[in-house]
Amino acid sequence: MSGWGIGFFRDNQALIEKSSEKVYDGEQVHESFQRLARVVDSRIIVSHISCPLSGGLHTAHNHPFSLSFLDHVWLFVHIGLIEGIADYETSNEPGIDVGVYPARVFEYLRDQLISYLRYTPYGSLGRSLVKSIRNLLSEYPGNYAFVLANESVLFAFCNFRQFMLLRESESVGNSLVLTSIKQGLSDKEWMSISPEPNTLGKLLVVAGPDVLYLGDVAQGSLL
Amino acid sequence: MFYIWGMWPRDLCCSFLCHNFHPNLTILARANSQLLKLGFRSLRQSVMCDLFALSAATNYSAPKSLPIFAAKAGKNLDGWGIGFFRKNRAYVEKSALWAYHEGRFHDSFQRLARVVSSKFIVAHVRLRSSGPIDECHAHPFVLRFRGQDWIFAHNGKAPAIESYRGDRFRLDDAVSDSARAFEYLLDGIAARYERNNDVISLFSTVADTSRQLIEKYPGHYNYLLTNGCVLFAFSNHRQLLLLKGSKQLERGLLLTTLEQGLSGENWTRFARKNDSAGVLMAILGSDILLKEDI
Repeated sequence: MSGWGIGFFRDNQALIEKSSEKVYDGEQVHESFQRLARVVDSRIIVSHISCPLSGGLHTAHNHPFSLSFLDHVWLFVHIGLIEGIADYETSNEPGIDVGVYPARVFEYLRDQLISYLRYTPYGSLGRSLVKSIRNLLSEYPGNYAFVLANESVLFAFCNFRQFMLLRESESVGNSLVLTSIKQGLSDKEWMSISPEPNTLGKLLVVAGPDVLYLGDVAQGSLL
Repeated sequence: MFYIWGMWPRDLCCSFLCHNFHPNLTILARANSQLLKLGFRSLRQSVMCDLFALSAATNYSAPKSLPIFAAKAGKNLDGWGIGFFRKNRAYVEKSALWAYHEGRFHDSFQRLARVVSSKFIVAHVRLRSSGPIDECHAHPFVLRFRGQDWIFAHNGKAPAIESYRGDRFRLDDAVSDSARAFEYLLDGIAARYERNNDVISLFSTVADTSRQLIEKYPGHYNYLLTNGCVLFAFSNHRQLLLLKGSKQLERGLLLTTLEQGLSGENWTRFARKNDSAGVLMAILGSDILLKEDI
């Protein structure tokens, strides 16, 4: 572990708190992380803990990353190894000014979504993301597990490992919790979402405490 | 013909007008002048219940578009309702009176249009085709399900579903096709959640239940259904018109069943395709997140 980040929304703006310090050390959770966990109040909260492979040596290298496009501010976190995408050059402004490949993945998806939706504003955002993911996997094969969120909706995609999912009932906040940690975060009945063989991966769309869409991204599927 | 409006029994008058539509109503001159500013050549009015929604990423009001909606749907004299969310709870203000009549807006409708602020605003003006004319039968309706309030408004005739009796959800005081359609949808969605221990998609569940609704109880269904997190918009007759980023009305995404939209801007029409049972959209903020011909 070599850093952490928490992203959330306030008044439709994305706010990010991150650090290059270990989130857990000497059986102690990082003090700021712990305080933020208590205080952050947002419809969508995204967090990431870095491993040395994905950078994280400097605070700026840590996820989440943020970009504004298509009338939203977006947050992005990613795990997984991808070769070749570090050289990707975005065609849109602004770029993310850090030399870590998850930032390039985010820029790639941004560029794709803009290309699909700029001239078809009534097109389906979900379908456009599926096409973007398909192009991403075709150009830059690798292991992807990412979360992409704006102030209203969260997309989660994985083509390796799994997402664990827990819908908390009304009595404990009526929320949906999602993590890439295999055991989940408690001893409750977490549901596992794993990519199916012979598909490109699994896509979840979350709105409020509900899974709005869950499906396989197949070669040629239209969502 | 139009000058004797109100002298005839209301049902007879509405029935007559359904077959004798005229695009220019002189009695509506005041609203006409407002609409002329927005690029309309005349106040062409709908002769059926109509739906309106505003969806935005942040709380929004609809002080321009709601009155125009009421004026353009001005033949619907049997009630109106505005549904919205505040702190995740649904609120509905409704009335059995007209929202717009003879150049005047219902006082409460006009005030609410200015004041209501929500990420989702759902409005309905009613021309009775099922159930009595009273406040209880004005839309939207509200039911609670999975820890959330759900708001529902419907347009279209579906007499086949009037006999439906739900086993989970009841709008006890309402006897209209719309009330039964709402119960059916939530019953169907709840049943699918109960049958599945796995993660299931809410969008697919709403799509499947809508398909089943039309198969079992054929009829005309345009509906708006929202839990405050997502707005489902379904159409299997007439059309839904959508406008994003209006320069004349409110920003966000505006939706109506009215044929010409609510301004002279470039509204986009969504309607059932010939080979489908209807079109379903999931809307969040100003985006169409998912869309499926079912």
